[in-house]
Amino acid sequence: MEKINLDNVQAQMRKGVLEYCILLVLSQRDAYASDLIEILKESRIIVVEGTLYPLLMRQKNAGLLSYRWEESPQGPPRKYYSLTEKGREFLKELDQSWRDLVLTVNTLREKMHSES
Amino acid sequence: MKKTNHVNIGGMVFTIDEDAYQRLAGYLDAIEAHFRDSGERQEIIGDIESRIAELLRKRMGSSREVVVMEDVVEIIRILGDPEEFGDGSDGKAGTWKEPHSRYYRRMYRDPAHRILGGVCAGMGAYWHIDPVLLRIALLIAFFGFGIGILIYLLLWIVLPPARTTAEKLEMRGEPVTFENIGKFVKEEFGQVKKNMKF
Repeated sequence: MEKINLDNVQAQMRKGVLEYCILLVLSQRDAYASDLIEILKESRIIVVEGTLYPLLMRQKNAGLLSYRWEESPQGPPRKYYSLTEKGREFLKELDQSWRDLVLTVNTLREKMHSES
Repeated sequence: MKKTNHVNIGGMVFTIDEDAYQRLAGYLDAIEAHFRDSGERQEIIGDIESRIAELLRKRMGSSREVVVMEDVVEIIRILGDPEEFGDGSDGKAGTWKEPHSRYYRRMYRDPAHRILGGVCAGMGAYWHIDPVLLRIALLIAFFGFGIGILIYLLLWIVLPPARTTAEKLEMRGEPVTFENIGKFVKEEFGQVKKNMKF
């Protein structure tokens, strides 16, 4: 039997919504990796930073994101990510899925709690 | 007193203690091994190196000059074990088990111990036999049958050189794990030191 531990379940939940959160942040403003990391860490969506990079790469390959190089006030140029048109469409659908999911879970919770 | 190295990380120059350097090099090799099947390996590593440089620069501030072991350990803690990264493919994030087990053995040329192209050195490492024996066999095949040189040239063309630490481990049939890479890097350092003495 597989052991279930809380950390693991929480980590899986976070991972599931990480992609959604990346798009969400980028829909507000373009950001380079460190900006993204800061925001996602603040909201406790990512724990280790390395998780972000393969996801960004995948979203870029899927045409959801694009990036451009920009000079930085200190150090080498930075890669700024922005949402593409396709990314915006995708985000809209994810918004809907998220609302549905939250609604479903909340309805279920209320139902179960009121029964107990 | 400690020996230090100068390194270029993501376009920034750092002075780093030798032990810290080895640790960081081992970590980057482990990341490279993790993404070895990804076509964007270089790009991901480039991005991660930029982040490492930024974190280090922040930690150093204006008062400190040398990156020490504690800095590297902290950076690795922040970025996390490559095994936790996931590979960015659908639904697989973080659920990868034994991602390198498929790659334990692969034949490479070994440019570090080559006479000509490193073919015999690579085969020797792969089969765990002395490359000298292979070289003798090759010479016999050359003079005896005349096809030795053809086989050799073919292998030279076909076999990729083992360049990264991960590739060298695979050539020797050792699993590409974080510890092994650390061990290997240390060994190589010892070798370089020895060579420099003589």
